[in-house]
Amino acid sequence: MSRFLQRFLQRASVWMAPPMPVVRLEIVRIFAPLAVIGFMSGRLVHADEWIGDAGFRVPHLAQNPNQPLYMPPLPSSLAWVVVGVMVLAGLAVSLGFRTRASVLIFAATLAFVALSDRLAAFTVSKISPVIMLAVAAGPAGSRLGVDAWLRRRQGEPAAAAIAPLGSIRFLQLFLVTFYSASGIAKAGGDWLTTPFVLWSHLHDTYQTGFTVLLANATPSFLWTPLQYSVLVFEGFAPLWFGLRYTRLVALVFGLGMHAMIGLMFGPVIWFALLMMTLLVACFLPERWLAPPPGKATARPTQPGDATA
Amino acid sequence: MRASGRYALRVLAATYLVGLWLDGIGCEIPARALPRPAEYFMQVAALFPDAATVASEYRAEGWICADQRWQELDPRPYFPLDPDDKENRFQRALRFYRDEPLVLHALDDYLVERHNAALHDDGIPRDRVIGGVRIVLVHVPIPRPGTRIERLARRPLADFAKDETRVLYRTPKARLDPRCGPTSAPVEETP
Repeated sequence: MSRFLQRFLQRASVWMAPPMPVVRLEIVRIFAPLAVIGFMSGRLVHADEWIGDAGFRVPHLAQNPNQPLYMPPLPSSLAWVVVGVMVLAGLAVSLGFRTRASVLIFAATLAFVALSDRLAAFTVSKISPVIMLAVAAGPAGSRLGVDAWLRRRQGEPAAAAIAPLGSIRFLQLFLVTFYSASGIAKAGGDWLTTPFVLWSHLHDTYQTGFTVLLANATPSFLWTPLQYSVLVFEGFAPLWFGLRYTRLVALVFGLGMHAMIGLMFGPVIWFALLMMTLLVACFLPERWLAPPPGKATARPTQPGDATA
Repeated sequence: MRASGRYALRVLAATYLVGLWLDGIGCEIPARALPRPAEYFMQVAALFPDAATVASEYRAEGWICADQRWQELDPRPYFPLDPDDKENRFQRALRFYRDEPLVLHALDDYLVERHNAALHDDGIPRDRVIGGVRIVLVHVPIPRPGTRIERLARRPLADFAKDETRVLYRTPKARLDPRCGPTSAPVEETP
């Protein structure tokens, strides 16, 4: 193998798993399961109607693209067991207890319910198993949480504060890929040709009291620049988050955008909180997360590494 | 983790991200190349690409055998998840499968059976047996930008103008007869 190729592979390897503060992954590990359980809460209390045999079930459809996989309903008692396992595993992940096993169980139950009932599956249902697998692939629970506390009590040395984090690199890429695709889809839809797309989405059952307040208080001419700012943010997300100089502005804009989405489209609040968790964990400036001098066992090779 | 495991994870991650992006921008390659359950987990990014022209909602009516008339039936007691918004499973079933006769017949059977079990209040008295259902799409035009808006409230189906509703499904006579008897024949329009 040529020296050039070796060097390229070495750099690619570092780029894919750059040294970062482990606390980034701990933020995802603590807050993402809570947002997911919050999203699932309305479903969990009706487990037998949701994935069990007590409610309406879409029959097996051989060729319908809206039914990716037919799964027969569970007996009601088993449905309650599945959601019980889901909640316990999710809380265990958030607490950092038996972290890797809990994450894998949580991810498996999330994937199961997403496939079992297409009717109650949304973006959160589909992305949460992937996010949890990313958490499982990294050193989640090694710094904070019950596992870390138990290890400290047994006299074991603290885990590295900075470590190669392929999981966070994946989540960074996930966010910019998601936004970029979303922006292109919007540009290909009505967002470039219809000036009041945002306004048009304020009138259905997602509406909240805040939506009505804002709709009545905002001059109508403002909806169009707001719409274009979202489009520019999403469409060019790889640029905004890739460049060190625009990353913080992009982070603030992204948090503001999701906060508004959560406030204005009631049930979407959990999606907003999940995305805000990922944004903070992935793109909060390194200097705000770095451990005090002398605490880290390794320093990042590329300060401000998060070039997604 | 062993090097082979790391490479496998990276390939999997790259496939997921490329699939997510391609699916989001409307490319059909993931749908053709991947198993449907795998592609399903990538269908996440194309959120709200189009402007809404109407606020839509699905409603149901039941055919009361004894009275020979349609009356609005509130499906929410039988679809208790997210009862008041469009994430409700009744709304979603019709959004995804309104052209799928198998699903419409299953919904028909389910609503008739649930009402006739008389365990919940759904707008039709519990002692009135229904023999069929009518699924109605309600679509209300979006107000002009700048118009003062009121908080959305659920209105009875009868309050909507005729051009704001459209019947999507009506229990066929062949299914109605065994439930109500052969003399029962629904009229075409809501009284």
